Amino acid sequence: MAYPYRHDRETRVLSAHFGDPAARTLAGWRERGGYEALRSALAMGPLDVVEVVKKSGLRGRGGAGFPTGLKWSFMPKDDARQPHYLLINADESEPGAFKDRELCRWTPHQLIEGALIGAYAMRARHVYIYIRGEFFEPAQIIGRAIEDAYEAKIAGADVLGSGVAIDVTLHLGAGAYICGEETGLMNSLEGRRGQPRIKPPFPAAVGAFGRPTTINNVETLCAVPHIIRNGADWYRSFGTEKSPGTKLFNMSGHLVRRGNYELPLGFNLLELINDVCGGIRDGRSLKAVIPGGSSVPILAAEECDIALDYESVAAAGSMLGTASVIVMDDRTDIVKQVRRIVEFYAHESCGQCTPCREGTEWMAKILRRIERGNGSEADLDILLELGRNMTGTTICVLSDSAAAPVASSIHKFRDEYIARMRAPAGVPFPIGALTG
Amino acid sequence: MADETRLVGGNEGWAGERGDFAQLSEADIRGTACTEGRPKEGRAAGGACAYPYQLAVRDEDAQLFEGPYAERLAKIRSRYPDNRGALLPVLNLAQEVRGWLSPESMARVAEILDLPATYVRGVATFYTMYNKAPVGRFLIQVCTNVSCNLCGADDVMETFLENVDAEPGETSEDGLFTVIEAECLGACGFPTAVQINDRYFENVAPADVPAIIDRLRGEAHVLNGSRG
Repeated sequence: MAYPYRHDRETRVLSAHFGDPAARTLAGWRERGGYEALRSALAMGPLDVVEVVKKSGLRGRGGAGFPTGLKWSFMPKDDARQPHYLLINADESEPGAFKDRELCRWTPHQLIEGALIGAYAMRARHVYIYIRGEFFEPAQIIGRAIEDAYEAKIAGADVLGSGVAIDVTLHLGAGAYICGEETGLMNSLEGRRGQPRIKPPFPAAVGAFGRPTTINNVETLCAVPHIIRNGADWYRSFGTEKSPGTKLFNMSGHLVRRGNYELPLGFNLLELINDVCGGIRDGRSLKAVIPGGSSVPILAAEECDIALDYESVAAAGSMLGTASVIVMDDRTDIVKQVRRIVEFYAHESCGQCTPCREGTEWMAKILRRIERGNGSEADLDILLELGRNMTGTTICVLSDSAAAPVASSIHKFRDEYIARMRAPAGVPFPIGALTG
Repeated sequence: MADETRLVGGNEGWAGERGDFAQLSEADIRGTACTEGRPKEGRAAGGACAYPYQLAVRDEDAQLFEGPYAERLAKIRSRYPDNRGALLPVLNLAQEVRGWLSPESMARVAEILDLPATYVRGVATFYTMYNKAPVGRFLIQVCTNVSCNLCGADDVMETFLENVDAEPGETSEDGLFTVIEAECLGACGFPTAVQINDRYFENVAPADVPAIIDRLRGEAHVLNGSRG
């Protein structure tokens, strides 16, 4: 059951033990069937484990939706370049995303079990869980779980008596959104500034500490024990053909019941908002939705009758991303919120690439000017042109992420930008004037 | 399905709206039972690399990496294939002990890991959670990013500043509070999210702020008392 509200339409797999403090302990996790999937996996060949995950159709839950089994299959199948590493991306910091924190704080052993299965499949001798620095409380919970797993000989030199050695290390970040980008994460883990690297080489060839490396999101690995336990066909019985399985939908903004809900991929966005989450707060109406975290294009209310799977959201001109759905009611000041999002990217730009370092700052400045009532229509053209120059021109996609909400909001809510310009300079924008 | 409730009174401890999980205590939500059994010297090395490093209890003049911390340092170093890999966890440990990273602390970390001091400084200044100057006993970080912003985070930020009577980033006269704006804290379903040292306070509304400040003052009083 997802947290902090439950709904009858949920399919509870990863979230079955949210809100249950007893599930955090090793004994409690074992009572709930924990580590049985690891035992089953260890009885299979590593490549057979990869095959099951491939067949399940599981796709990476960190935003890109890349097929997990395929990613795992890129790793070397022999030990010539050991040690291999599995890195877990728990650097959740995209505005709107708050699913990995719930997985970490309620089901730490679910994550460790998935990690050990993944490491076994890829012959990785060492797992690093890179958790964002701010998550001190979840880190204490995972830290304790790792320590207990070592004591019970689940992690370490002889995993469940199989003779396989897998170490698990929890690594706390120090406050930098860019470390959620996989190559930025590797640099940060290595004790460098968290600046992304040019690809190729890809991590499976040259990753952390120069070794073959795979980076998986927390939610991706948490799905793995269930796939091993119940089979690929069972997993495929949820979701759509191309987007199988369940997904945590992180619902924030102007909703009656915010929180995480676990639903099959392909669930309808309007039903999610109006039925599962109880609709918009205070009896207001819907204005806009950002469906996949702050870096994806915004959808206007009339575009929201869509299925939430990777393909359908892309067809609607946005992205499912992390399924972090930010819901905005009819009173929302779009210009202000887009400005706030862009300020975030300006703050988090690592500074390596000029289009990003300069572009995000200039976007923020222009948006602040418009918000104050001092903008002109020409500013909108400048913003769009800037956005084009920031897209596809940099090492990573942080720059593209800043450009997407700006361009989409100008296209869909141009009237709101224009209304700002007609307001006398320095007079606050009359919220609701456009929608009333 | 519980009715929608605003949990100002019921939200004991501001550990977040409890929704259908009303039976959970603050400790249940925070998982404080897990922190027990994690001694200062660390247990298994895999966990020893990660301890909270923004604490109300610290000592600016403490020797770094002595006593139980020497043991933890050794465990950290055993988990990385080279010295540089251990840099972030060792910087974390230095801040955990002293509360901030002075140039002298950074130099000491550089010395221990046999890295150039300028390199360590270059890395440390990249990350926002390293305090390059001392902060109040309680570092209050208010998320004002989009999901919290939609739900009134700017007012929460303003109310904290009024209540501690300081500008953003400035420490209150009594040395207790430093309030800063934070980027997304990853608790978007519990707006407004506020990080205070090693804890999150969630679903914080402006009306909650005086009670939170009172609670922190009470905690400081206890800590001062225990030091004699």
